[in-house]
Amino acid sequence: MFDNKGQIKIIEAFLAISVMFSVLVLTAPMSSTPDLEKQEKLKKLGTQVLIKLDNNGTLGKLIEGENWTALKQSMDLLLPTGVFYNLTVYDENMQKVNTQEVGNSSQPGPEAVVIQYLCVTQSSDTRFYTIQLQLAWPE
Amino acid sequence: MKVREMRKKQNSGQVILIAVLAMALILLSTQIYVFEVQMSTINLNSNPLNNYLFAIKLGSRNVVIGSIANISSGGSNTVLAANLDKWVALVDKQNQFGRSTLNYTVEETAPYSSGIWFSWGTEGFGVSSAFVHFMFNLSDRQVEADLSYFVNVTTTLTIEGTYRTVGADEKQVNVTVNLFNEGKPALASQVTLYYRILDGWLRPNASNSYAITDYGNGTYFASFLANISSSTVEVSVLVSDQRQILVRTNATCSQI
Repeated sequence: MFDNKGQIKIIEAFLAISVMFSVLVLTAPMSSTPDLEKQEKLKKLGTQVLIKLDNNGTLGKLIEGENWTALKQSMDLLLPTGVFYNLTVYDENMQKVNTQEVGNSSQPGPEAVVIQYLCVTQSSDTRFYTIQLQLAWPE
Repeated sequence: MKVREMRKKQNSGQVILIAVLAMALILLSTQIYVFEVQMSTINLNSNPLNNYLFAIKLGSRNVVIGSIANISSGGSNTVLAANLDKWVALVDKQNQFGRSTLNYTVEETAPYSSGIWFSWGTEGFGVSSAFVHFMFNLSDRQVEADLSYFVNVTTTLTIEGTYRTVGADEKQVNVTVNLFNEGKPALASQVTLYYRILDGWLRPNASNSYAITDYGNGTYFASFLANISSSTVEVSVLVSDQRQILVRTNATCSQI
């Protein structure tokens, strides 16, 4: 009887480890979906974030006012934590407008997706911008 | 006593198992919660093509708002067409989902002319409006989409004035101002009031005990005292809405 007790403990410990391991295995796919699906999600995410900012003319105002810090803060707030991004603004002649880096990574990586978004200011001096947003999930 | 302790020791493995299960559940639910919170701010079920079409419509609207803001502050009527031409050219260069073609026609049905309607009247009713129809086509081997939509940006102002004589020529004037964007009450970024003295318009100030109350729902109430010898008290209100679109109207106050 005393000899079996040790074996039962080992089995119980093994069971406990299995439970923890299976939970970790189960939750892993939440952060690592297949590449294509991940990229598709990133594209949707990026476009929706830009639309959200542009909906009341805020995006155009921030660009027109060259308020790159506020633009970065807004992007940081709207994008989920850990998503790498880099935003570049071009004018009508495709000249880079942002003098300051807007993003949390200068090179989001080879897995990054690129979104092109057209932005028009609501101001009386209507201006047209092309926004290029690079996004990548964390490795 | 010893037997109870022995049982306790024998059950300790099961207690560990239950504790591990509880920990696993907490871990799992925390992970799910964090994931849901991160994704809840953004609707990822939306179609990327729908997002693109929505962005095009949003841009079209912004072009019209900017143009009418420009024209209402003294710009040329040709600004609307010039801005729309630029926008169309920019959209036509896009090829994210296929070949994009955007066309527009400005509203010509009365009271609009070249897509614009301004009525800064004397009856206490003023309008600054622009109306444009768009036709968007997207063609690709996999996708073919046609979308017709219109953008109507209208800022409407109504004013109503009353006055009562408080001295020989001195009059207490009250003016109620209502502002609307596309028919819905809207906030103003600036309200400027004038009253007529002979052939000129004056702005009431602190010496006129001028006060304006913002009710926060697009309604403003202004009151002031002024020496107006005539029995006809005329007021004029110029309002800039939050989109910087200007609208003006005049009204004759009724005596109370």
